Amino acid sequence: MGADGGASTATATAALVAHGLSKRFRKKVALDSVDLSVPAGSITALVGPNGAGKTTLIRVCMAFERPNAGRVEVDGVDPWRHRSEALRRVGYVPQTPAVYRGLSVEDHLAMARSLHSGFDADYARRRLDQLGIPLDQRADTLSGGQGAQLGLAIALGTRAKVLLLDEPLANLDPLARREFIQVLLDAVRAEGSTALLSSHIVTDVEDACDRLAILGGGKVRLDCPLEEARRTHRLTDADSPPPGATAVGSFLGKGGQKVMTLWRLAGADTDGADGQSAAPETTSLEDVVLGYLAAGRGTAGLQLN
Amino acid sequence: MVLCLGVAAAALVEAYRLGSVQFPAGCVTGGYSGPSFDPSAPPTPCNLASQRFSGIAWSFDMSLVRMFEQILPFIVGITFGAVLVAKEIEEGTAPLSWALAGSRRRWLLGKLLAVIVVIVPLLLIAGLAADVRQGAMVQGGSDSHASFDYYADRGVFFVLWGLAALCGTVALGAFTGRTMPALFVALIVCVFARGLWEQAWNQTVLRQFAVRADQGAERGDLSLYQTSELYLDGKLWVGDFDAWWQAHQTCTEVKPDPSIPASAGGMVCQPTTDATMPPMPATYVIHGDRYWQIVALESPVLLGGAIVFSGVALFWVGRRRPY
Repeated sequence: MGADGGASTATATAALVAHGLSKRFRKKVALDSVDLSVPAGSITALVGPNGAGKTTLIRVCMAFERPNAGRVEVDGVDPWRHRSEALRRVGYVPQTPAVYRGLSVEDHLAMARSLHSGFDADYARRRLDQLGIPLDQRADTLSGGQGAQLGLAIALGTRAKVLLLDEPLANLDPLARREFIQVLLDAVRAEGSTALLSSHIVTDVEDACDRLAILGGGKVRLDCPLEEARRTHRLTDADSPPPGATAVGSFLGKGGQKVMTLWRLAGADTDGADGQSAAPETTSLEDVVLGYLAAGRGTAGLQLN
Repeated sequence: MVLCLGVAAAALVEAYRLGSVQFPAGCVTGGYSGPSFDPSAPPTPCNLASQRFSGIAWSFDMSLVRMFEQILPFIVGITFGAVLVAKEIEEGTAPLSWALAGSRRRWLLGKLLAVIVVIVPLLLIAGLAADVRQGAMVQGGSDSHASFDYYADRGVFFVLWGLAALCGTVALGAFTGRTMPALFVALIVCVFARGLWEQAWNQTVLRQFAVRADQGAERGDLSLYQTSELYLDGKLWVGDFDAWWQAHQTCTEVKPDPSIPASAGGMVCQPTTDATMPPMPATYVIHGDRYWQIVALESPVLLGGAIVFSGVALFWVGRRRPY
């Protein structure tokens, strides 16, 4: 499991690294010894249910929260120790579009330029132009999708190496979600930057991301390339496990008639998944995620009537 | 901005009205007019002018202007200060701006300086207008920069109190992250701080600069405290006060007046013609001509307070969460 090669190698090629990262809010553990490595140039989906710790992880990376233990590095810089330097390398899109109600879209770009020395307002303006978002429109009159696009344009305008997107799709309709993903993909591919996109909607990130990190109960349950996640897991009913496979978690299958179990195939850490690489059979990403989330939650609630 | 300029304009109008009262030659007393002018005074040109002057100096609109002069620096400071950080946190824009700015302290410093650049000239205009109005409160006009009358409500102190209120409220806003609580707490603190400051400052620092005024405080003096000992003709006087009075007054018996029901007789005493002022406590004052010296002493302290509050705000913004 995971992309933990040698720590030094991972650090050298990773845009974002967390080592033993823990964060508590009073007695509630939000992050529990999280180890995560986001390779440079990748788009990583950070998936997990509400309260899994996704937002906390991103906030620690933004130096909004101080970790209780462990450390995190963004493009090789510890954001808590060297906040300015770290944030210069990060473009951030918050969960709820953060807009100044009285300001126009153009004012937002001007404000971003005044706050961030390297902000490329023309680049951000072009992105918004392409989407037909009027620059003279007041930000509080934008639709949810337009607001999210403004947030993304500001993040992209920083020309940062790392983009941290904290559930930007959560409040968008399907069409706006698709547009958002497309703009993000185009930008990341064109600039070669790295993105960590948190979401609890698996289908949204399935086509956009090349890497998957599943967070549940403050722990990283899975961290690997997307294809590997699909290839190395199988979903069957509990009575027919694939040979040598390890059960990950059980959950109600579609239709709610049957309890299904996600299995991790033997030899999954090596190439070729279960060793039978010809005509690989894959599992849907949603099932993989559900299996790991069920594992984190235990089997409670899975009893069928 | 409107409030500052409005109060400044109102103060100048009041000053103009006072200045436009034409006193005939030899009438100007150089003093204040009391709040109530004796209506039985003969209607001489001098008395009529004095009455008109009093009417303006103690009018409702003048007291309104004075009231605004007292509270304006705090209103401006608190209003701007409460929204500077707290509103960003409250409305969820702080994560965006802090992420873009990188250094939160630089972000706050930039905002704070922008506000200071706007409010300092406005407060200075209002403060100088208050100076002009205060100078006009004396018949014939006076130099308000050689007088301690209401000196903390005008001039440069107008700006300094505004800055202290601004920076203090910014610190409160950074701490609470909520606009209204910061605003209300700042209002309460300012009301108490102003009163306590004057008492503490006068009785500690300014006390050292006070000189004895045997004849009491004159116009424009800052009266600080009175001695417990009595002084007569500028010299310490020790003796029996009642005996002194007995020796310096003549008393005559007054019989009851039968035309007035329930009229009672008694003794009526008058000071003798050779009596000097009776022994009285000496007043320690700072004379008005030391105005600029005291301004130079007090200003850095108030400015220092504003800087300390800013430091607290900067420290706290650096530590706190943006939500």
